[in-house]
Amino acid sequence: MPQQLAVIVLVDVGNALESRTLDGNTYLFDNMKLQGSENQGTGELVTAISGSYWSDGSQASEQVLNWLPYSLGSIPPTVPRGYEAERARQTDEQALTELDHLAATSGTSGTDAAAELSRIRQSAGRRVKTTRRTRGRLSGQKVLDVTGKVVSDGGTQAHSYPAPVITDIYGQAVDEKVIYPAEYGSPDLVTDGWYWSATVDTSRPGTYAYTMRIQLHQLVEQGGESLWEPVNLTCESKIRVTTEPKRNAFTKAGLGLLPVPPRAFS
Amino acid sequence: MNPKVNIVVVVDVIGALSDGTLLNGNLCMIDDGEQSTGQGTPELCTVVRPGQVVTWSALAVDLQTPVEIKGITFLGADAEDGDADAEATDAGAGAGAGADGRNGQSGQNGRGGRNGHGPERHNPELEVWSGVVPQLAPGVAHQYRLEVQMYEGEHSTLHIASPALMCQ
Repeated sequence: MPQQLAVIVLVDVGNALESRTLDGNTYLFDNMKLQGSENQGTGELVTAISGSYWSDGSQASEQVLNWLPYSLGSIPPTVPRGYEAERARQTDEQALTELDHLAATSGTSGTDAAAELSRIRQSAGRRVKTTRRTRGRLSGQKVLDVTGKVVSDGGTQAHSYPAPVITDIYGQAVDEKVIYPAEYGSPDLVTDGWYWSATVDTSRPGTYAYTMRIQLHQLVEQGGESLWEPVNLTCESKIRVTTEPKRNAFTKAGLGLLPVPPRAFS
Repeated sequence: MNPKVNIVVVVDVIGALSDGTLLNGNLCMIDDGEQSTGQGTPELCTVVRPGQVVTWSALAVDLQTPVEIKGITFLGADAEDGDADAEATDAGAGAGAGADGRNGQSGQNGRGGRNGHGPERHNPELEVWSGVVPQLAPGVAHQYRLEVQMYEGEHSTLHIASPALMCQ
């Protein structure tokens, strides 16, 4: 089938970070329900991959798997890529305006300059420190919540997480050379410019397990600064490969004459 | 003469399912024949010669949408299904029933051998829509009804009856 096969890996990042496991915090979906995939929307997905072969035994169709990690409790990846930077700039401008106003009014009686400064600092939010290990879409930006508001204290307030990142796919299906996964560059920025994909050898039917190594990011306070600390966890899933012979749709066997009703020759 | 002619059916699955029709630009047909007319439209008339092998295949505009050919039925001279009504159909309706021997079969049932895949289902992906052109009355457009299936369910099958094969 020319249809590309997609596996969505939806991670409840907050709970996964808290419990330090992806078990029970991962929801897997694929677009092969029609082909017989089972346990959609759970962590126990078995992805059905239907292969086919010609009468000489050679492989008749190529199946390509794609993995797309998504996050529960994050700003959707479909918002414009510059959204976080734009929100950071807007809140900086707003803080400057409020500082201007404070400077103009600080001399007047009834103004608590210290309290006002503290409020402005809160509403301006905090930038997350960028390190070599934590470069990414949210690095260097401010911590936001899922509605796009800045969060001044990521330690206690609800905030959006960077999207999960698949860093490796390995295990039985790879060891036995049933799937050949690799990470590819992509023009689709929804996946941050990268995605994992694999071709499948459908000539060996069976159920094969594979493991995804998934990197999440936790907001930590270090030396008075906030930074996204990577947390590596793993998640297992399975594929079930089947293969069936191709056959002629008109004859149900080999090639034959097209069933065209006879017409009179003029 | 090229011994083979390939006909490709390109379907905008999302457009077709949204509109409930394969018309409105949701389906186009292309072949690699030499004198065909209507290229890029649902009115493709493929010029063939007896003995040539014609192969149909379906492609989706969006690669992550499923589309397969469900049936190709050549219509008789009266071509009572010659209107491109392109409505959701029950397989088995229309002229030339029995020509491909699989009318009346829904997308749910089918043949066995799913290697433990729960309820058995007809898998159109395994079908190769290919055949040898017989002796045909020359200059006559032999229209056929082309059914495509997009995923499964009540409204997943649509058809057109406008394409044709013609011998010179």
